[in-house]
Amino acid sequence: MKKNNRASMSDAQKFSLVRREAIYTGLALFGLIIFWLIAGFGTASLDVKIFHVPLWAILGTIGVWLVAIVISFVLSRVLFRDVDLGGDDNER
Amino acid sequence: MNGNLSALTSLIMLVPLIIFMAVMVGISFYVRHKQAGKNFVSSYFVGNRELGGFVLAMTTVATYSSVSSFVGGPGMAFQVGFGWIYMAVVQVTAIFLVLGIFGKRVALLARKLNAVTVVDIIRARFQSDFLAAVAAFVIVLFFCGTMTAQFVGGAKLFAAVTGYSYEAGLILFGLTVVIYTSIGGFRAVALTDTCCAIMMMIGIVLLLHYVLQAGGGFDNIMTTLETNNPELFEPFSFGNMPWTIYFTQWLLVGICTIALPQSVVRGISYKNTQGLHQAMLIGTVVVGFMNIGINFTGILAHGVLSGTAADYGGVDNIIPTTIVMAMPIELVGLAIIGPLAASISTISGLLIVASSAIIKDVYLHWAEKNQRVVTPARVKFLSMAATAIIGAAVFVIALTPPSLIWLINMFAFGGLETAFFWTLLLGLFWERANKLGAMLSMTGGTIIYCATQAMGFKIFNLHQITIGITCSLILFLIGSYLGKRSDESTLKIFFPKN
Repeated sequence: MKKNNRASMSDAQKFSLVRREAIYTGLALFGLIIFWLIAGFGTASLDVKIFHVPLWAILGTIGVWLVAIVISFVLSRVLFRDVDLGGDDNER
Repeated sequence: MNGNLSALTSLIMLVPLIIFMAVMVGISFYVRHKQAGKNFVSSYFVGNRELGGFVLAMTTVATYSSVSSFVGGPGMAFQVGFGWIYMAVVQVTAIFLVLGIFGKRVALLARKLNAVTVVDIIRARFQSDFLAAVAAFVIVLFFCGTMTAQFVGGAKLFAAVTGYSYEAGLILFGLTVVIYTSIGGFRAVALTDTCCAIMMMIGIVLLLHYVLQAGGGFDNIMTTLETNNPELFEPFSFGNMPWTIYFTQWLLVGICTIALPQSVVRGISYKNTQGLHQAMLIGTVVVGFMNIGINFTGILAHGVLSGTAADYGGVDNIIPTTIVMAMPIELVGLAIIGPLAASISTISGLLIVASSAIIKDVYLHWAEKNQRVVTPARVKFLSMAATAIIGAAVFVIALTPPSLIWLINMFAFGGLETAFFWTLLLGLFWERANKLGAMLSMTGGTIIYCATQAMGFKIFNLHQITIGITCSLILFLIGSYLGKRSDESTLKIFFPKN
């Protein structure tokens, strides 16, 4: 069923979908940059350490990585749709 | 540093490396055998568009992660501290950005246009052989710079750790990468990249384990650092990490990397969108693990090395020295596979794209235009020969390594981004983008970038990528508004309407 839906999309619909997904990705980047700024520089003045590592360093590195993973998950599993790419590649 | 190593111990260190290189070459022969009978150009330059999600993720990450990620980067983390990891972590965006923005669009267009290279798509979008030729030239030129840096970095690391000569290292891994890329083409590059990425992760885990052990445990190392090196715990590292570095790194190794031809071509090579979605997730997990893991190991290396970076001959020697001092001798050979894998996976990824630029984008297009018949056997011979010749040329340059090699590497990175960022981004997503805009942007932007690099001209002490990318955008917009719109038939392909 899902395959049929994908196959029945017109070229215009596919390109429109792909454009929308690219915009989602750009917005996700913007969100991650904001998080990076707040997580690192934003918390640098706090004198908090976890396992000897400053909070800003944990949030600004592992925190940013985890948020990037969540973003990739949301983009690829929730917002992005499967598209029949055309040609004979899917039948190969 | 290895003057006391016996010949036998040195040989023992080489065994894992030799086995690894032999496996790489074996994979290329296997791929060559499996691809027999298929369309040669498509299979050699984009692996017949058969990559699945895992391999797509690994090849994109491995091509992106160079030897400097494993040597220079952690060396800087040793010197600067957590600020360096905070800066380097921007690279976690690289995979989901390039695949999320260009992945599907490039795949759809490649199938429509029967394109196998990024230049094919640029030529079709802007209907310009001149622009395509410039793009191919820029690719070959800057890729040669990047590849040289990888060869030199890898061979220096090899020499520092094993005690063998620089030339021996170059021959061992340099020739191996040229051979397996020439024989197996893109598919072999993708599979060997996957092995390389796995070895990089194993190398990081091994090194981290032995660094912690040699330093008396995590608590001990960190307590000492808190007392002796407070600058490592501050984001600006007491002035060693100015804001300008943070800003330019977001451009240079973050946002602008989406337009690197060696990354974008991965969008042509995968089988279906399920694979692409998987690759976005896997790639982000892996690139973050590598980045944080190896740079954090660089900081923890203080537990093994008591002096400053200068005491060990500079930041580039921190990781090699740490490997030698922290790891048991029988595992050293295994540990250096990681950084060398980063080097060879980047070289192979660039080599195949550079070869496609010459054979597919220039020669085959010229032959088609002039109605010359090129037999499949000749295409095959020329493609493999081009790959081998480019690889051999870079190998020869690396035999007498130029100075300031890391600057050449970053220079090449910025040059590629200046040339391709707006041409690809606006070209594929903005209908008004046209031939004049793309030409001005690619040629003008690249020339301005190179000129500012040559003169050492900077604004606010920012890397010249900021000037290059800004000028490139301005020129693109001027050209697009002054020049003629792309013709309707082209727009129908790139921006289909209902």
